[in-house]
Amino acid sequence: MKIGLEMHFQLPTRSKLFCSCPTAPAEPNHNVCPVCLGYPGSRPALNRKALEAGLSIARFLDCKIEERVWFSRKTYFYPDLPKNFQITQYESPLGTDGHFDLNGRRIGIWRVHLEEDPGRIKRVGRSGEEIAFVDYNRSGIPLVEIVTAPDLTSPEEARALIDQLVTELRSLCGLEAQDEQTVRVDANLSVGEERVEVKNVQGLRNLEKALRFEANRQSKLLAAGKKVVRETRRFDEERKVTTSAREKETEEDYGYIGEPDLGEFRIGEMARNLELKETPLARAKRLVASFGIGEATAKQLVLTSHSLTDLFEELCLHVPPERAVSWTTGPISGNWAVLQDQAKWPDIVRIVKDDSEGLINDTEAKRRILSLAGVQQEAAVEGGDGLGKLISDFIDEHPEVLADYRKNPKAANTVIGHVMKESKGRYSSREVVEGVRKELEKRV
Amino acid sequence: MERETIARVAKVARLNLTEEEMERYANDLDDILNSFSVLDEAPAGESYSFNPIPVIDVLREDEPAQDIDPQALKAQMGTYEGYVRGPRLS
Amino acid sequence: MSDTYGLIRYAQTKHLAFTEVAEGLEDGKFHFSAKDNLCADGFQARAGSAVLDGYSPPFDATCIGRMKGSGGQLVGKTTMDEFGFGTFSTNSAHGVPLNPFDRERSCGGSSGGAGAAACLIPGHIALGVSTGGSISGPASFCGVVGLTPTYGRVSRYGLIDYGNSLDKVGLLSRSASLVARHFRTMAGPDPKDPTSCAQPALAGKGRMPSSLAVPREALQNLDPSVRSSFQEALGKLKGMGMEVHEVSMGSLRFALPAYYILATSEASTNLARYCGMRFGRREEKFDQHFNDFFTGVRSEGFGDEAKRRILLGTFCRMVGFRSRYYLKSLAVRQLLIEEYRKVFRDHDAVVTPTMPFVSPRFEEIGRMKPLEMYGADVLTVPPNLTGMPHISVPCAYVAGLPVGMQMVADHWKELDLLEAASAWENVFEYRFPEVSL
Repeated sequence: MKIGLEMHFQLPTRSKLFCSCPTAPAEPNHNVCPVCLGYPGSRPALNRKALEAGLSIARFLDCKIEERVWFSRKTYFYPDLPKNFQITQYESPLGTDGHFDLNGRRIGIWRVHLEEDPGRIKRVGRSGEEIAFVDYNRSGIPLVEIVTAPDLTSPEEARALIDQLVTELRSLCGLEAQDEQTVRVDANLSVGEERVEVKNVQGLRNLEKALRFEANRQSKLLAAGKKVVRETRRFDEERKVTTSAREKETEEDYGYIGEPDLGEFRIGEMARNLELKETPLARAKRLVASFGIGEATAKQLVLTSHSLTDLFEELCLHVPPERAVSWTTGPISGNWAVLQDQAKWPDIVRIVKDDSEGLINDTEAKRRILSLAGVQQEAAVEGGDGLGKLISDFIDEHPEVLADYRKNPKAANTVIGHVMKESKGRYSSREVVEGVRKELEKRV
Repeated sequence: MERETIARVAKVARLNLTEEEMERYANDLDDILNSFSVLDEAPAGESYSFNPIPVIDVLREDEPAQDIDPQALKAQMGTYEGYVRGPRLS
Repeated sequence: MSDTYGLIRYAQTKHLAFTEVAEGLEDGKFHFSAKDNLCADGFQARAGSAVLDGYSPPFDATCIGRMKGSGGQLVGKTTMDEFGFGTFSTNSAHGVPLNPFDRERSCGGSSGGAGAAACLIPGHIALGVSTGGSISGPASFCGVVGLTPTYGRVSRYGLIDYGNSLDKVGLLSRSASLVARHFRTMAGPDPKDPTSCAQPALAGKGRMPSSLAVPREALQNLDPSVRSSFQEALGKLKGMGMEVHEVSMGSLRFALPAYYILATSEASTNLARYCGMRFGRREEKFDQHFNDFFTGVRSEGFGDEAKRRILLGTFCRMVGFRSRYYLKSLAVRQLLIEEYRKVFRDHDAVVTPTMPFVSPRFEEIGRMKPLEMYGADVLTVPPNLTGMPHISVPCAYVAGLPVGMQMVADHWKELDLLEAASAWENVFEYRFPEVSL
């Protein structure tokens, strides 16, 4: 199975892509002006922050970046599109030919470009005869579109790609968590020779469902000796099926022309001058390379928190990495809410260093760390039993997790997540992870 | 210009043409495009730009602002419960 | 002052120069008008189109804001071809302006009303807009000075688009000095129009052109009376101490097609927004499918020439035709800019007649085919396509009708043209029709 994705993410700006209207939520048609309503006489001006965010993403994905780009008009008629053309990038995207490493596999990135979002339509009236009620607050919201090669091999992998990419982009450029509403995806999927495009899927869960349905549909067709027709389909969220899009919509001729109101942008130099923040997964890779720690540990560290990882790196300057790992993923992460205060870090470093040099023993070191965090040791000891009970209670109540775990060890994450949340940081993540593993293995 | 072509162009442009208009515009466009075929003699040219003068890196800072009251714009558009009304979707 | 208002009303009623006028003149302000495709708070902006009936923009175009800011009163909106689509202002949904010298004849287009207002009202400054010659043309037919600045010199914020890579806001008036003063008011960068932010600052003073080039190719197919008038004018320019050289600009023959292709390609996208939902002519038949709804409004709202240009432009950018027409025209524009540059290495300006003939009668215009009408722009299109500043001044009168002469300079050199136009007024006396109120 081959899957390629066209993902649209909202870029983290305070004003729209081509006008100064706020991007914050508001009552319908409140964040509008002549520009984003397409009023005659208005014209666009490009938001610097949006361009920089787009370029950071293109560079992060290791794309080839041209020296010069421009925007294009994609003309089509729809009630949510105020000018009846969308300003997007056609011949000259911000970046091409990049890649993203998904759990060790290289997924090709074909292009990264900027475009404006249309308005949002509320359908009103009887089914099949709905008229459009339009809210143009979203008109002109800056989007980045990222197009992958058809390198993904399953719906789960497609979802994992977006999950990980969003994690990375959040810390790269402040991209907001993409909830079910804001991520919009077009997907290409082929089980055999012919590919089918599933357009306009809103949300990750819907995407996985749409892809599963479509993979199934194509497999059945092929198994029955029938042909898959190359076409565009839509995902029906209610019925959870994909249906053929009406022909009318596929024969639109966009008649692209250059957008003369914006001029062009010398992005080569702009991109080279950007300072890219280190993203969690990239940092994990570096930690593995520099300190020789395990990949899982490294990921656990960076996904817990950037600053916890900072402390880890700080500790590594004084003690062997394995000691730094056991303390940061142990008692320190368990009390991170208090210990993240950087004023406490010199004390932490001294305690861990003293322990490592044998000046104090582990028990004393742990006592000192906990007291730094304001926790009485008795409570922590008592907590040991509490942890076991929390874990086994949850597994008892959710037998399906155990079933899942037999097929995929990652199911343990469900239990870990629950226990971490319930215990509100009483236990370190290492204690929880080990406790859950042990309990699950025992039952399997 | 073939009838099919002019009909397709009119459809893409969302214009209804009568039979008479269809024929008249097809003839006009034929005349015009024939005379424009002189362009085929022009050298291909190595580069193109979308403006006659260089307009490079003109950017706006990301500062939210609204200098026109959206209520005035809403009033012009004839909204219902804040929404702009539009036609049927299917 | 009351005389001036009387003349404004006269221009409105007798010559249909205005679509709307102010109720009176304000004390202590100078008077100016704006072509109806420029947005102004308090006036409709319909750009000559029925599809925009009822559109009252709640904002001022930057150029209008600047004129008001320097002490001007906007006294009215002038008639024009629908969206600027025309050479004779006959494609207007709000009245066809009549020539100040002969009401049977055209004012030129598409800023025809602006040409008539500039001619009929002494001391008046009329803001016009040119895409392919819409300032030069009316200036020529109405016997006034018409300056089309470099593309990007005057902000287009508030201008209802025809072709965004071609549209320029300029001025028409009886005298070059008035044009020069208000050109300085309107010029300059505006963050609301990025293409206006690329300009160099205006110099303190222009440089009088000393060497003029006359392209051989531009002298073909002229009306004999225009040709001889122009030759005489060249003699006067020599008398002013300028050198006049004939040059060859072989690429000029590509200008007209390249212009019409780019202009209509851009126009057909700009006009996509007129669909009855948000502004101007609004429709309430929401039970129609959106395609039928949009198609209905557009088919009723647009005039004949607008439809022709939408069809032409849509065709030129469609898959399969796009590279032959649209992309090729972009390349040809670069070629022409280079050809002008070559001439400007040795010369300060290019001079031609403005229009190949004097203002025609409406009945003659009625017999012209679309292609013939497009051909009337042959002399004004090259500087417009390439964004070069140009000025048209009266240079002769044939049977009482003005003949225009057009001077083109390199990008950003408007002031040189204004120097020349001012000096010209010392050697050639302009005539204006007698008006009795």
